Amino acid sequence: MRLLGLGSVIAYRALFNWTTPIVFVGSLLIGPLFQLIFFAYVGRELAVGDDRFYIVGNAVLSVAWTCVFGGTMAIGNERRFGTLGHVLLSPRSRTLIFLGRATPYAANGLLVAAVILTVGALLLGLHIPASAIPLLALCLAVSAVACAFFGLTLGALGLRFRDIWVISNVTTALMVLLTGVNVPFDQLPWFLRAIGAALPVTHAAAAARDAAGGAGLTGIAPNLLTEAGIGVAYAVLAAVLLRIFEAESRRRASLDTL
Amino acid sequence: MDYAIEAEGLRRTYRSRTGWLRPRTTEVHAVRGVDLTVGRGELFGLLGPNGAGKTTTIKMLNTLLIPSAGTARICGFDVVKQTREVRRRIGYVFGGDRGLYERLTALDNLRYFAELYGVPARDQKRRIAELLELVKLTGRENERVEGYSRGMRQRLHIARGLLHEPEVIFLDEPSIGVDPVAARDLRATVANLAATGTTVLLTTHYMAEADELCDRIAVISEGEIQALGTPAELRHRADGRRVLEIEAYGVPTDALEDLQKLPGVREAAVEERGQVQVVTVQSDADADVQADVLRRLNGVRIGRVTSREPTLEDAYVAIIAAASRVAA
Repeated sequence: MRLLGLGSVIAYRALFNWTTPIVFVGSLLIGPLFQLIFFAYVGRELAVGDDRFYIVGNAVLSVAWTCVFGGTMAIGNERRFGTLGHVLLSPRSRTLIFLGRATPYAANGLLVAAVILTVGALLLGLHIPASAIPLLALCLAVSAVACAFFGLTLGALGLRFRDIWVISNVTTALMVLLTGVNVPFDQLPWFLRAIGAALPVTHAAAAARDAAGGAGLTGIAPNLLTEAGIGVAYAVLAAVLLRIFEAESRRRASLDTL
Repeated sequence: MDYAIEAEGLRRTYRSRTGWLRPRTTEVHAVRGVDLTVGRGELFGLLGPNGAGKTTTIKMLNTLLIPSAGTARICGFDVVKQTREVRRRIGYVFGGDRGLYERLTALDNLRYFAELYGVPARDQKRRIAELLELVKLTGRENERVEGYSRGMRQRLHIARGLLHEPEVIFLDEPSIGVDPVAARDLRATVANLAATGTTVLLTTHYMAEADELCDRIAVISEGEIQALGTPAELRHRADGRRVLEIEAYGVPTDALEDLQKLPGVREAAVEERGQVQVVTVQSDADADVQADVLRRLNGVRIGRVTSREPTLEDAYVAIIAAASRVAA
């Protein structure tokens, strides 16, 4: 448990590039907030969706910045610092070491999303009933965990591919388009809907909008459970990829970290 | 005998593919059949030039690489099939600036790796304090590693490698780029490790370091062990020789070939030491080659010329040169 708790927090401080106040505020708060405002105004002009659609959706999406990039950094930066070999020499379970790292990023993502939702709602005048807040918090939390495991899946690719940051950049850009946060999900072509349905955020954003609109737990449960299932699937995928790529690195000497 | 490290016929071939349309696969035989045994508590040196196969051998022994052929055991555990058992018993330290979390303090680096290496929570505080004392970082442990000098980083590497009190520690060029005073401290730390019963496998380029520290030395070149013995035994390889050292400026590239052809000359090498080049000529002890050598260096600006008895380094040069000639 110490490795999961204390170890993951130390790893977060060691590997997450955006912990300095200026970078944290700039990259994780101001950037996503301007994105939220931009799409809210576009939505008003084009009458595609109301403020709730954009504000709640973009608040859920804001967890992705921390979690997807953080998850990638949680493994990719080991290569950068030359510490990956020393981590792989640990006799302890890879699942504990690496999947445990999702927790601080999920907590960070949840904090960011809560701030973005609060500030966005205040700036644009969206009223969210107090009764909806617990369910909204639950949606953000589930989405944050799912995104963190998704980020670790991308990070696991860093054991095999050197330029993992390209994949993270492309993925987060795709999430803006495919998760139904800014473009209504049912207006996407079927193949983009298929991709979007397999991404985290998509189902949590729909659940969060319903929660903000007054739906109860029963109403949001299907979407929320789907989001949780997606998170579990990415956790399993990350664990499998880590195992495969670590074994491959021993066979093919694909880690030039030492 | 109970060995800490055993390797039999260890081989490693790297394959790399280049090109998309016409992919080409190239093979590099980094290690070509290494056999060695290291006793418990022994301080064993692995010496060789860059690219000789030292680090690849260590990476196979410490489970980071799977051998292409051959077997290896650490404390009786197979490095391929019993990786977890092996990892519990080994520490790994390598030279250079990388390999530490820059943004963390030394203390946090050690706390994290203590978790990774399974040091029980109740022992961590005591163990970390002991190691900080051992590597003389007490009082600096709360500073971020990014502000550390190379010597301090090296000492922290060693502390990290010893956290879980490994039975075997691999030190891969730990003193590279470290100033003489820090290197002396490192040597004292390494000697102390062996004295307390830890088995040490040390790779280094510094002959004096190997001579001072190692119980036995293996010289590796072209992926094979070329010589193995105590420092005194290896020095005997240069018995019956004299060494002529000439400080020079602007030695032409083909001069060495000419020198090697002189009667009585066994080896000739040139080393850059800052502005000056040092030409080292090993010859039969009964041959006086100084006049011939200086004649061949006609036109080259010459500084100090000295004649001396051969050292371990000369024996090493002779072994490596012989291996290179065979490979060529």
